Amino acid sequence: MRQGKLKTFIAAIAMTGSGLLLAPGSAQAVPSFARQTGMACEACHTVFPELTPFGRRFKMNGYTIDNIPQVSGMTPSKEQTLSLNQLPPLSFMLQASYTSTKTALPDSAVGGALAKNGQVLLPQQASLFYAGKIAPNFGAFVQMTYDGVDDAFGWDNTDVRYAQNANDQTLWGISFNNNPTVQDPWNTTPAWQSPFDQKSSVAPAPGAATMLDGSLFDMSTAGLSVYAWINDSIYLELGGYHSAPHGLSQIDSTAGQATINGLAPYWRLAYERQWERNSWEVGAYGMVAKVYPGNGNALSGPTDQYSDWAIDSQYQYIGDRDLLTFTGTYIDEKQTLDASFANGDSANPSDDLKTLRLNVSYYYMRKYGAALGYFSTTGSADSGLYAPNPIDGYANDKPDSKGWTAELDWVPYENTKFALQYTMYNKFNGASDNYDGAGRNASDNNTLYLLSWINF
Amino acid sequence: MKKIIAIALGAALASGTGVAMAQATKQAKTLAQDVCSACHGPEGHSISPVFPRLSGQQPGYIIVQLDAFRNKTRGDPNAQAYMWGMASQLSDSTIKALADYYSKQKPVNGKPGDPALMAEGKKIYTEGIPSENVPACQTCHGPNAKGVGAFPRLAGQHVQYLIGQLQGFQTGTRSNAPIMQSVVGKMTSRQMEAAATYAASK
Repeated sequence: MRQGKLKTFIAAIAMTGSGLLLAPGSAQAVPSFARQTGMACEACHTVFPELTPFGRRFKMNGYTIDNIPQVSGMTPSKEQTLSLNQLPPLSFMLQASYTSTKTALPDSAVGGALAKNGQVLLPQQASLFYAGKIAPNFGAFVQMTYDGVDDAFGWDNTDVRYAQNANDQTLWGISFNNNPTVQDPWNTTPAWQSPFDQKSSVAPAPGAATMLDGSLFDMSTAGLSVYAWINDSIYLELGGYHSAPHGLSQIDSTAGQATINGLAPYWRLAYERQWERNSWEVGAYGMVAKVYPGNGNALSGPTDQYSDWAIDSQYQYIGDRDLLTFTGTYIDEKQTLDASFANGDSANPSDDLKTLRLNVSYYYMRKYGAALGYFSTTGSADSGLYAPNPIDGYANDKPDSKGWTAELDWVPYENTKFALQYTMYNKFNGASDNYDGAGRNASDNNTLYLLSWINF
Repeated sequence: MKKIIAIALGAALASGTGVAMAQATKQAKTLAQDVCSACHGPEGHSISPVFPRLSGQQPGYIIVQLDAFRNKTRGDPNAQAYMWGMASQLSDSTIKALADYYSKQKPVNGKPGDPALMAEGKKIYTEGIPSENVPACQTCHGPNAKGVGAFPRLAGQHVQYLIGQLQGFQTGTRSNAPIMQSVVGKMTSRQMEAAATYAASK
């Protein structure tokens, strides 16, 4: 017995020690920024990937602040034509994880992926980043990721930007990116939400999510936005997204993925106040997209329109000893399903979907952390969109999922994190009991998740 | 004739130096605006007490500190985390121009703190703590805490920043100021808070 425990302990240490990091979506926090600026991670991050006020400023500045020798070039009239880091700003990230659900999935489910409960992923994800300056005022955060579940390399978070100070009080810039909110400076919005930015990629997850939460496009978009940061307090951004599916030379009607008709506008407003060691942000963001549902439906005629309006708020206290962060967002989505209703894919001509997330996290000496969060997604009953199916289906036509996530963290070094996370579902895909029509209960999907995450 | 050539050469050199100076001044302003202000605020008026206010700071002090960051001889935790990198590529002329830029910005007016602390602080600031061999702060920092040369302005500074520095001198994490290390020797936390509150209020 005692030996068994020891073996489990050694296995856990070996797994975490060989660490990797990552999960659905992915992760920022890259050592190449530290190498480029000469500043410790703590300058930009409370604990990665959450940004400090300076981290937000660094991002808005186009990732260009540098303090390393440059390769330079200039014209005879002294116009700078090159200013390149002598070493490329590359970083690597590794995540390894262990996932266990309260009740194992049946062998018949999802290809038997979790038939053996207690899934170790090494790596869960591994990423290569180019993150840093490209030229004066011009920088990039580009991530390529190997996904241990898909066993494939893929294009991940991308944010290339140009930024410039108009004067002492105003910074403006342009971001070219592949996912709405990946360019956002705060950790409330879906792409970089804190503190639960990483979750198990193999445990069953709630099926319904709003467009901004990434349900429709999965980074298969290309967006351009213009932003301004005024008086160190007001953030304004306006942009648009176009479909850009990976692996296709031409979008056609056989594409499984939803396809945006034309350009989908995206907007963001935020106000941040700093005082002493506190910062508080309150903001709103949104996106409206007309979408062809894909799945063999024609890329002409009626579309489904998704209108997402969201509010968010973030409070940070960054002390020498204590770090405290509250984050929250509420996303309200109106779906006008002209295309899906006509095809018989939805039972209603229009639906709605609402998501609420409220989180608090605390770190002691930037080393030991604890976090707690509530999540809820609720919406219209629709027997077309939400149909029964073992594990990932909906027995009573409703998308509702609600629950709590708690996490303990240990950050022995500024670039290394170990997390122990537990997610508890009060409701999953519409119900607490027998949610899928095959006898599985919401609590059967309660997930224990152990993550090791290193960046170098 | 030789004299004329010498004068012309001198003038040319002087104007060359002037151009270089003007360039450094312009570069320093851009640096301050684009980079330094991210932490130290526009015109050096920082908000967070982690980062000192630089407006109206003594140029001599700024030069000594930037040089110490560049040489890694000032090693308190925030100096390492932020300034070692930031200062690593600065040239002497840029450091001088940055010092010049910040010293010319309008300082923040100090605000009086808790009356009991202020009274205690005034005593320490003006008379020192003779029983513990702590000299009067004003001896070096001046009666109005404006500083002089390598002795920094304390007036209008964040109280928490000043306390942090005094603690750094005492624990040795900030070891680039031998005078201050000996001065703070036996100061208590309360005495540090009082002295900082009074000095910052000037």
